[in-house]
Amino acid sequence: MTGSTSTGGRRGTLVAAATSVVLAVVGVGTVTLGVRGSEGPPAPTGSTPSSSTATSMPAPAALAPTASANTAPRFGRFLPASRPTVLDIPSIGVHSSAFVDLDVTPDGTMSVPATADQVGFYVGGPTPGQLGPAVIAAHVDSIQGPGVFYRLGAVEVGASVRVSRADGSVLRFVVDKVALYPKDRFPTEQVYRGTFDRAEIRLVTCGGTFDKVRHYLDNVVVFGHLLGIAKP
Amino acid sequence: MRKQSTFVGAAFGAVTLLALGAGPALASGSSVNANLMPIPGSGVRGSGTAMVAVSGTTITVTMAATGLLPNQPHAAHIHFGADARHECPVIGDDTNKDGHLTTSEGAPAYGPVVVSLTKTGDTSPASTLAIDRFDTAQGGTLSYERGSIKVSPAVATAITAGKAVVVIHGVDYNKDGKYSGSVKSDLNPALPTEATDPALCGALLAAPVGGMATGDGGAAGGVSPGLLALGGAALAAAAGTGVIASRRSRIAVR
Repeated sequence: MTGSTSTGGRRGTLVAAATSVVLAVVGVGTVTLGVRGSEGPPAPTGSTPSSSTATSMPAPAALAPTASANTAPRFGRFLPASRPTVLDIPSIGVHSSAFVDLDVTPDGTMSVPATADQVGFYVGGPTPGQLGPAVIAAHVDSIQGPGVFYRLGAVEVGASVRVSRADGSVLRFVVDKVALYPKDRFPTEQVYRGTFDRAEIRLVTCGGTFDKVRHYLDNVVVFGHLLGIAKP
Repeated sequence: MRKQSTFVGAAFGAVTLLALGAGPALASGSSVNANLMPIPGSGVRGSGTAMVAVSGTTITVTMAATGLLPNQPHAAHIHFGADARHECPVIGDDTNKDGHLTTSEGAPAYGPVVVSLTKTGDTSPASTLAIDRFDTAQGGTLSYERGSIKVSPAVATAITAGKAVVVIHGVDYNKDGKYSGSVKSDLNPALPTEATDPALCGALLAAPVGGMATGDGGAAGGVSPGLLALGGAALAAAAGTGVIASRRSRIAVR
């Protein structure tokens, strides 16, 4: 009888020990993955986080006094207002119709989508296709994992961005610039105004170093302009 | 002594420049934009965007609109009134209940004209109805840009503070393709009310300040809080079962 008890005890010990080893391995493995197993979201090519790109900012052209206009200005093509309904960035596999409105919050900052699978459209600015830059923002990730714009930093100059609109039109934008800006030196004028002489688009997400208080220190910004209308 | 004071002066200048360069107000408050939308009751189905860059008391205005009455002049202004609501009028502002909003009926919302967005010459409120100097909407589309517009310090401050409103005038209630009708303008009885009633309107507002909080770090490189928590929990569980195992083994040895 003691033998069977002893066997049972030994088996129990073995099972417990094995479970302990498995959990320990999983635990260590997961911690390792957490610390250095993932590479994090891609950064724009040639960018150095948290300072370098901001220095290349040209002064906003719109601020320079221009001669009084006697003739119609030469704007690029622009369209009537219509809200975005679908965003496609084929080169990084983004396809989303989960649009939500973004606006200025009482503290003056921009609201952000509630979840990482939503794409936010800044309603205080032009709609895609109107004169000026349309601003679209989405999360790079959430506690759960990658968000819609996880790979935004991997977008390359010349890449195509398609936006479908509520009026049934499909617009094709081409990427002119991809840059990483420190959040405390966010180029507000460039993002929300630009030269304001053609239909443009801005895609914004977080990037750069993730600091100890759980914030990304930079914003990845993709700049593009209207190239053509795939479907009127 | 003189050299020293020059140096001090230069240093002070450098500090001032740095302070100006770093000032957030300069970056965020120097321009405002508006989404132009149809005035309620106007019958207009157009839209547009406008941007006003403010540099001291000089402004540059860039504006584009579509869906306006084609090939007719459209008076356009920046409105501001200290007592106004700093917004576009709603149908409730239609005090005579005729279903249309005149420029005067919209005044409680956007205030009086402070800048006339003429193509040439004077840009003061004196040019409010200088119809021959406003843009003509070719095919219903209006493209406007004008720099070096001087405004008063009070108006510059109001624009930067997001209290000014852009209004484009000129509607076609009877759909005959021109400014007509028996109702005369509240601003000038020599003109039909269609020529001066507001068509598109948009409040000029500042852009959001600073960067965006678009990441929680769940998929960040380096330390990932989510995975760390998960790993930590597994390690804690492992430690727990380990303790049980060692206790059991102790019992077994006994």
